[in-house]
Amino acid sequence: MRMDDRTLARLMAEAQGGDADAYRVVLHESRRWLVRFFAGKITPTAIDDLIQETLVSLHAKRATYEPTRPFLPWLAAIARYRWLDQLRRVYRLDEDALGETPARSDHETEVIARISIDRMLARLSPAQSEAIRLVKIDGLSIAEASARTGQSPSLIKVNIHRGLKRLAQHVESE
Amino acid sequence: MGPRDIEDLVADLQPVRRQSARVGFLLIAGGMVVALLATGFGFGFRPDVLALRPAEIVLLRSGALLLVGLASAVAVIASARPGVGSRREGWRWALAAAALFPLTSLALTLSGQAFPTWILTSRSAAYCVGISLAAALVIGAPLVLWLRRGAVTERTRAGWLTGLTAGALGVFVYSLACPSTTIHYAAVWYTLTVAAAALLGRLIVPRLLRW
Repeated sequence: MRMDDRTLARLMAEAQGGDADAYRVVLHESRRWLVRFFAGKITPTAIDDLIQETLVSLHAKRATYEPTRPFLPWLAAIARYRWLDQLRRVYRLDEDALGETPARSDHETEVIARISIDRMLARLSPAQSEAIRLVKIDGLSIAEASARTGQSPSLIKVNIHRGLKRLAQHVESE
Repeated sequence: MGPRDIEDLVADLQPVRRQSARVGFLLIAGGMVVALLATGFGFGFRPDVLALRPAEIVLLRSGALLLVGLASAVAVIASARPGVGSRREGWRWALAAAALFPLTSLALTLSGQAFPTWILTSRSAAYCVGISLAAALVIGAPLVLWLRRGAVTERTRAGWLTGLTAGALGVFVYSLACPSTTIHYAAVWYTLTVAAAALLGRLIVPRLLRW
């Protein structure tokens, strides 16, 4: 059974007090939620690392959660921060196919849409968004992305640089 | 991350004290008290301030600076406890109100009123900038230490806001000692000092908030 935000908020408050059972549930539920949150936004082989980093950050920064506020937007802010951090790292993976997005309930779809990574990407120009998606998410090389889009290699780099800078300004924007 | 990794995190669980916004505000208030005492004893406050009958311009400029400082403090303290959709943006309005000082100075000059050029070479300007930035450091340093315990996800914004908070409150402290009563002086030197503090915050603070 998937938990609602209110339940997660209560369990997280108990975890802050040292309740290991509550914390275990929070971590498992968060992990499940993050799989859906990151689906299609990172190469499949990188998703485990990203989820791990996000959960370790949740652990390290758990004192910053305020139980009177919703839990998922707090987790989403940390997840977006970690996702952006991952995109910034210079790496290239060979995978060119993204995993299937698991089915979601209507409520989850609504929550994730409001705090999703897509909402961040929508703040970019189409050229910036396309360059980031192809190179940083799909794992294409600059040359491949250039050939795919018709943008010059230097323009691809500029669009990635400016796009990442802009994304960093909107980690907490709805 | 599998069940075993999750169990590692669970095994590492210790009770934590929630990061309280109140502590952040108290640290800022404490920094202001130290800066006020140092400025008062070191340089002396204006006689009208000490007599609790401040001149109108002193009330206006100090009030504007205090509002900018408090509004940006609210925003930067909120940023330590992240959440998508929970950004505070009230500081923009306070900053816009404070911008009336340089705009008024500009309007007066453009309308033909003589600009007091002596303020540009005034020796007191060095005291103004120096005391204000020193006060800003006293106020800003504990705030940065507190922010480092938080989970700031927009570090550049937090850097600007930390500098703005410390700068505005630092200049507020100095404004209670500042002998000038002309709006042009506040328009030039106060604005420059707050802008410099904000820029320093932008340059220095984000790298201290990496996590």
